[in-house]
Amino acid sequence: MPLSYAELEQFYEGLVSRARSRGITCAITSGMACVAFGVAQATKDCDLLCVPDAAGDFFKLLGEADLGGQMPSYRGHLTAPLDSRWLRGGWTSHFVWDTPGVEAYLDIFGVAPRGSSPWEAELQGFYAGPHIVAEMKRTNREKDWPFATALGVKLLETGDPRGWLHLFNYDVLVQTARKLCCPAAMVALRPALALLIEADERLEFALKGEIEFWNRLDRLRLEVYGRAVRPYMLAVKADHRSSAPSLAGQHQARLEHAEQLLPVSPLRQYGIQRLIDEAQAQAARFLPPGALRWLPDAGKCFNLLAE
Amino acid sequence: MSDVKTAPDWLTADVLDYLHRVAYDFHVRAFGEEMARVNFLPLAERRRYVAEMIDHALRKGVKFDKPALGVTP
Repeated sequence: MPLSYAELEQFYEGLVSRARSRGITCAITSGMACVAFGVAQATKDCDLLCVPDAAGDFFKLLGEADLGGQMPSYRGHLTAPLDSRWLRGGWTSHFVWDTPGVEAYLDIFGVAPRGSSPWEAELQGFYAGPHIVAEMKRTNREKDWPFATALGVKLLETGDPRGWLHLFNYDVLVQTARKLCCPAAMVALRPALALLIEADERLEFALKGEIEFWNRLDRLRLEVYGRAVRPYMLAVKADHRSSAPSLAGQHQARLEHAEQLLPVSPLRQYGIQRLIDEAQAQAARFLPPGALRWLPDAGKCFNLLAE
Repeated sequence: MSDVKTAPDWLTADVLDYLHRVAYDFHVRAFGEEMARVNFLPLAERRRYVAEMIDHALRKGVKFDKPALGVTP
């Protein structure tokens, strides 16, 4: 009898509970968090934020976490070792419980992509807060943007003015502004909101500019990681120990290769400002002139990455 | 865990009702009528619906796993 989604969800929540009982700060984010916040998403993977300092403790917990009698393994050759150094640099460690009838995927990372504030400061039950989850939705995938807007409205409904930062749908922004005043502090963080307050029709341009910019920024970010991981991936692929039966054996092989070949913080190496400048230049090619005049300070979204 | 906060002055019942309607209309446009209905169900019912939807899709052979890229999009 295959494991149901409800049972899987219980398993992941149990993992978070056990981790927290050991003093490990962690939280479920992405799709499963969206379901909890009222924006249902069909996802079976669990994305988990874990404070980088607790990576070792979480790895120990994984070594005891059987599911249907099966222990987890690292998934694929691109996955970074679950170690504080790489978690701080924005890498993700992928795990799988894979046996007939049981297939569970767990992705662990320490820094929320595009997160401008520490996620561990605002947990909601098993989950990262909706502000963090919404920031993570500014991806290069078109399907993610309505989730950001929906979470933005949700934040406003709970009295959190940061909801204004996540409304990317023109109609929702205009309708919301009919009833609510956008605070100056939010305009300072998101200059496009000034156009909303002034009823300036260029708002629609500015929104397109924002989305195209974040889209390009995410694409470039993934390319930087993709190039950085290649030598490590080849080494892991060629090393039979990376598929060892024990998780500890798989980990040791990955750790050895990572120490030689996997840069801890490739985005820092590449240069955050360079990344932003390139994203703007790329976005400008697809937008009317001036559409990028109202971009926010995207540099803040990388402040939590290791130097 | 986040502290229990009192609602700000601007979040009146009238504003909340209005935001609720704006949100519902947007969910219908963005996710379709059925998912909008699901999104506004109480949490336990919403989770049950999503669970049934995923289990059904899995039985029909839908694959949900994402590629392991070493970084989260």
